[in-house]
Amino acid sequence: MAAVAETLAGATRDGGGTVPLFELRDISKSFPGVQALDGVSLEIRAGEVHVLLGENGAGKSSLMKVLCGAYQADKGEFLYRGERVAIRSPSDARALGIAVIFQEFSLVPYLNVAQNIFLGREPPGRIPGGVDHGRMHARARELLHLLGLEVDTRALIHTLGVAQQQLVEIAKALSQEARILVLDEPTSALSGRESERLFAMIRRLQSQGVAMIYISHRLAEVFQIGDRITVLRDGRKVGSLKPKDTTPDALVGLMVGRKVDTTYARQYCESPGEVVLEVRGMAAANGVNGIDLVVRAGEIVGLSGLVGAGRTEVARALFGADRVTAGEVRILGRSRIGAPDRAVRLGMALVPENRKREGLALIRSVGDNILLASLKRIFPRGWFSPAAGATVAKERIRQLRIATPGTRQLVQLLSGGNQQKVVVAKWLNADAKLFIFDEPTLGIDVGAKEEIFALIDQLVKRGAAVLMISSELSEVVKVCDRAYVMRDKRIVGELSRHEMTEDSILRLAMHDG
Amino acid sequence: MADLTLPLRGFGWERIPGAAYMLAVLSASFALVSNGFVDGTNLANIGMQSTILLLLALPMTLILMTEGIDLSMGAVLTLASVVLAAVAVKTGSVSLALAGALALGAAFGFANGALVAWLKLPPFVTTLGTMGIASGLALVITDAQSITGVGDDVVFFYAGKLAGVPVPLLIGVAAYLCTHWLLYQTRFGTYVFALGGNREALRLAGVRANAYLIGVYAFGGAMAGLAALLLTARISAGHPTAAIGMEFDAIAAVAIGGTSFEKGNGWLFGTVLGVLLVGVLRNGLNLLAVPSSLQVVAIGVLIIVALLIESVKDRA
Repeated sequence: MAAVAETLAGATRDGGGTVPLFELRDISKSFPGVQALDGVSLEIRAGEVHVLLGENGAGKSSLMKVLCGAYQADKGEFLYRGERVAIRSPSDARALGIAVIFQEFSLVPYLNVAQNIFLGREPPGRIPGGVDHGRMHARARELLHLLGLEVDTRALIHTLGVAQQQLVEIAKALSQEARILVLDEPTSALSGRESERLFAMIRRLQSQGVAMIYISHRLAEVFQIGDRITVLRDGRKVGSLKPKDTTPDALVGLMVGRKVDTTYARQYCESPGEVVLEVRGMAAANGVNGIDLVVRAGEIVGLSGLVGAGRTEVARALFGADRVTAGEVRILGRSRIGAPDRAVRLGMALVPENRKREGLALIRSVGDNILLASLKRIFPRGWFSPAAGATVAKERIRQLRIATPGTRQLVQLLSGGNQQKVVVAKWLNADAKLFIFDEPTLGIDVGAKEEIFALIDQLVKRGAAVLMISSELSEVVKVCDRAYVMRDKRIVGELSRHEMTEDSILRLAMHDG
Repeated sequence: MADLTLPLRGFGWERIPGAAYMLAVLSASFALVSNGFVDGTNLANIGMQSTILLLLALPMTLILMTEGIDLSMGAVLTLASVVLAAVAVKTGSVSLALAGALALGAAFGFANGALVAWLKLPPFVTTLGTMGIASGLALVITDAQSITGVGDDVVFFYAGKLAGVPVPLLIGVAAYLCTHWLLYQTRFGTYVFALGGNREALRLAGVRANAYLIGVYAFGGAMAGLAALLLTARISAGHPTAAIGMEFDAIAAVAIGGTSFEKGNGWLFGTVLGVLLVGVLRNGLNLLAVPSSLQVVAIGVLIIVALLIESVKDRA
């Protein structure tokens, strides 16, 4: 630990000048179909907590991954104390003193606390290749003591709770004698008291000259510990300001922007039909609770909130993929209890977020996928007739304008938008009355998005009811007749067509009284 | 200050597994129904016979912990055994023969590891392929005949004694201690846990994960080469199908011993229990004159019972 203190003191001494400790200039990174980062510049000074804000998909995670060497930037440069440096791999980043505390833990479940903290940097033992366990545990105990975490350094990681794991992750970053510490939503798994302890730790590190990048969705925290705030939107930096010069409202405004989008306007539903889905006080084994919602025929109802708020969990519980532990779920007045097969029989269709894993058999043909959920209906005797199947599939391909050379094309060769249509076609065949779309436009290019919306619109015009989960606030505002907003695994508000704006949704979704 | 609990790390005494109870119950039952079971010679026999299996099961534990598998072990052991016999017959040198067997085993292990780590081939299919290659080569080299006349120097490693203790028992104990040290006291062992538990974390920690993964498979191959010495000594010959299919017993022993096939959840001493359990079962059923085909059925049942006990314990 003495070594850590020394480095930290060193950082203070030469961090106070005018040259930032670390600088990112004009960083760009693209993935097929997405410009994740577009010319982002960022300065980090010693002893400063620099908060990074942005909506889901604004580019925060990509920026971090570039910084820690997990991704390589397409363009741009890094400066360490004013000198150009290269970050091409995780070890480059570590050599510069950059440590990242990831949101998804980088811990090994069946190694103990000390082994996890020093993974890849084990103190060598006397025999070559050996590890000095005594020294490793002693240093781990010091670090944990510093964090106020009372846990045995011999405890295996998988036996610890999420909050303790988060603190071990932080201890791991500290042990690297980091000069630049990146914290990605570090409080998302912590209780109020644990968060306070973390903030105290952050302030202590700050006084020792460590620079920190702090990513959070909780606006209150931002004002509590931030020295500077940078807001990202659509992969671009849209503002960099001091907390005292701004307000939560102004920040939300910056994050949302004024995206004018006139390419699509649907005729909103004025007089919805009968109640198709009615949920009262539902709680489920996957953690969601107190869920009340109603979806009527002809309506598109949004279910919004930040990533991790519990939207997908609601969908899975409704569909029977996760166990419902309390409350009532009714579809067209009939109680819906049991496994997904009963949900399908009652007319429910789930178009899952991860369509590649849960929605499609990628290595089978378009025709096979379209028929998958309705084989029993089309062939009640159990004999499969390829000709009859092809007729049904062709009809759907024509109706939904799926761009495919034929029914025998492999689904994995289609574009994202067309794959999505295949999933919808599958459920249309099954005679679904209620469609749950989970992030229907994820990873789909702009043109195809419009087609997906037109498709959803077509469904409700025919009398179906749609529950649409989306992280893209602009989409929810544009498409939905009503929206529910979730936070921390519960529904925290309902917005009518007129109340619904990106601001109002985001305000409900974030911790902002 | 010396930490007295350090040498015991990793034994996991606190989680006495189904395998230990099953071993006790099974031994007690055989002791009751079979006269010859509780007998110094017989018990030593169980230990000696189990050693060959142990030499495969120890590295198999590590391989399964990386979320891999090595189906080629029985075939590589067989091939190494006939090569060892051939070299021993030709040169009369045990050390040269052993060196050949170790090198051959390590080469096969390295090939398995390289295909899995660098070319990202699935371990199951990769080692199925090398299993075919090794078992085929064993038949080609020997022309499907046994290679006899390996000499007393080789036989010593199974039938001989040092200070009154059978040599294979000494080798078995030494192999366990070495592997235990490797898994629980070295970087290599730490990374074995991480390879299965969170390979991305290992990579982000700047460790050359692939090199270690290849090392795990190469270690397995080398151990199969060592086992070839005991096998050849035991049957005083190199036989082209001597240990074909032994990977089944090895994987069974590891599974019975409580190592799961995911997340790097492994327990080395449990593998020793699993090996003894398989050894006791085979020995006891032999004494009761149960045909060997039925013994395979019994081992299958044993695996399922062991996994049932573990899953019931998990749910509790």
